[in-house]
Amino acid sequence: MSTPTATPPPTRGLSVQALRRVTDHGIFWPVVALLVLLLACGLKSPGFLDVTLRDGHLFGQLIDLLRNSATPLLLALGMCLVIATGGIDLSVGAVMAIALAVSLTYLDGSPDPGSAATVAVAVALGLVVGVVVGAFNGFMVAALGIQPFIATMILMVAGRGIAMLITQGQITTVTSPPFKSIGSGFVLGVPTPVVIAAVVFVLVTLLVRRTALGMFLESIGINGEASRLAGVRARTTTWSVYVIAGVLAALAGLVYGAPTMAADANNIGLLKELDAIMVVVLGGTKLDGGRFNLGGLIAGALLLSTLERAVIIFELPSQTTPLFKAVVLIAVCVAASPFLRSRLDARRLRAAQPRPVEVVR
Amino acid sequence: MTGQLTQAPAPAPATPARRPWWRALGNLDRRFLPVLGTLLTLALMLGVGQSRYSTSRSDFISMKLFSNLMVDNSYLLVLAVGMTFVILTGGIDLSVGAVVALVGLAVARLFQVGLPLPVVLVVGVLIGTVCGLLIGVLVQVFDIQPFIASLAVMFLARGLANVVSTNSLAIKDEGFASLASWSITFGEGRSLWRINASMLIAVAVLLVAVYLLHYTRFGRSVYGLGSSDRGVAVSLMGLRPARTRIWVYVISGTCAGIAGILFALYTKSGYNLTGIGMELDAIAAVVIGGTLLSGGVGFVLGTGAGVLVYGLIQVLIAREGLDSWWTRVFIGAVLLAFVILQRVIVTRRR
Repeated sequence: MSTPTATPPPTRGLSVQALRRVTDHGIFWPVVALLVLLLACGLKSPGFLDVTLRDGHLFGQLIDLLRNSATPLLLALGMCLVIATGGIDLSVGAVMAIALAVSLTYLDGSPDPGSAATVAVAVALGLVVGVVVGAFNGFMVAALGIQPFIATMILMVAGRGIAMLITQGQITTVTSPPFKSIGSGFVLGVPTPVVIAAVVFVLVTLLVRRTALGMFLESIGINGEASRLAGVRARTTTWSVYVIAGVLAALAGLVYGAPTMAADANNIGLLKELDAIMVVVLGGTKLDGGRFNLGGLIAGALLLSTLERAVIIFELPSQTTPLFKAVVLIAVCVAASPFLRSRLDARRLRAAQPRPVEVVR
Repeated sequence: MTGQLTQAPAPAPATPARRPWWRALGNLDRRFLPVLGTLLTLALMLGVGQSRYSTSRSDFISMKLFSNLMVDNSYLLVLAVGMTFVILTGGIDLSVGAVVALVGLAVARLFQVGLPLPVVLVVGVLIGTVCGLLIGVLVQVFDIQPFIASLAVMFLARGLANVVSTNSLAIKDEGFASLASWSITFGEGRSLWRINASMLIAVAVLLVAVYLLHYTRFGRSVYGLGSSDRGVAVSLMGLRPARTRIWVYVISGTCAGIAGILFALYTKSGYNLTGIGMELDAIAAVVIGGTLLSGGVGFVLGTGAGVLVYGLIQVLIAREGLDSWWTRVFIGAVLLAFVILQRVIVTRRR
């Protein structure tokens, strides 16, 4: 986000420049929006910012926010890597539904759904779904060279039908306390989904920032052909990124569906792919590919779930949430758009005109 | 049309008499191949239907089948036609399904307020136009990707629809009801088929689109924008890329407005949950109709055939007695086949 403008404004002291560098950062506007929302909620409902410790578990609205941010964050992590390669994954919502359908159908058919071993197998099966779906998407994109949008749209359209086939059109419900705790339990006082999301976030960050993978992703996103010629194994890399996105989507599906223990193939993960893309965009990553910002995803995911909560706190009907999502999305995108920035630059330049310009770089 | 100029003349075969018939396909403009695939699929599906569901008293392939297909899918045709413009420029419009829901509810609410029929219809279409204009401005002026801009407008329209009402609103206006039930019928008994207002509107939209895309400067600009050079060629030709890019979204939005009214005519009500995933149906129909999602290649008449394939899948599933979720699986499969077909064609062209 630090692209130098064609005519840099004249130097006007360090503080202005520092301020400008901060406001130019992709994550600036989302964080501002997040803080404003949190503050507004805190003013409207005084207990909002309180966090209490009950029975060794953390409770409070803020903790709920964190818990609700886990699913979008998991989805957005995979989506962000895919977007970094210049692609997009529209199938994640459907993958959530399929993974949950497979896990719960297995639990439903098993003689002892409460045992830890059975649950482990169910979770593993769900994650395998993610691998298979990701491999399919990756094959379409990397091997056949089909546009990511359309390649992943196939499963977005068909996926829910497949999930319905698995559950045979029913809403499969099971009771299994260990499985349920994936979504509603606590680890050391912290909600399990938050722990899972945090662990995955750290793993992915290490993977892309401590190995060369991140650089490969960006080089593929900038120019796939050139990076292939430069010796990056573009196909394998692209392929594995879709697999990662698939597994994370499957995990998100399990985490999201675990508290209710009901595989509702029609509604689990509906439009979640769009939420995930919104989180990525709010987090300061551009859809063009070639550059990404994992830290921004946390801000984006928190902003999304804070927004959803704020609508309730301000006693607005929860169905109006999309309206506010739209407002935030448009505001953040417009604030970061080159058009507005060049306008502001032009104004600054005019304001500074009478002063003698010393050095132009 | 444009591509014929660049088409290299086919090398003269040594023994023309021995040439197998399928070689003649090689002389065909490759741009027609995806559409040819669509027509073949259509023929195949009709053949399957004819062989499986014909009875001694009536054929499966009949005017009745086509008139039912058109009645059931006229709103989708209008949506897909608008989407074709956007996709040809290399963009995408995710907002259309939400706009259909918004327009339906707005129309229902405006009738409750007591506005006359023509005003309601015009306002309904204009709601779509405004949504499209908003996307166009976000895309062109603020340089936001079409995907995100239309996503934002989708959320906006969906939210506004929920503000209008979260319940289904019935439309009881007499003029609207008579418009919905107006039709010309042909034949009698088993061979009865009809033409209704939605069909006429949908076909009119299709014909206008054919004219705009293939016979005007504007159409040339639309194809030029999709040639993945960020509109350089278009501006060098003295056409107006910026204006065109805004216009395609306005057209798509307007089509979504018209489709919203057609859908309201079809269901005689407005409901905030209509149209979830409808934008995907429209995109799928466009892709099945042979338009490349990367832009620049495609025919709006192909989109018409794509909508027929789409509708026919549902008819065959229903006739086969399969559960409705098979529809989505089949549509995914057909989409997959077409995407791979397109891929093969593009690869062989190089």
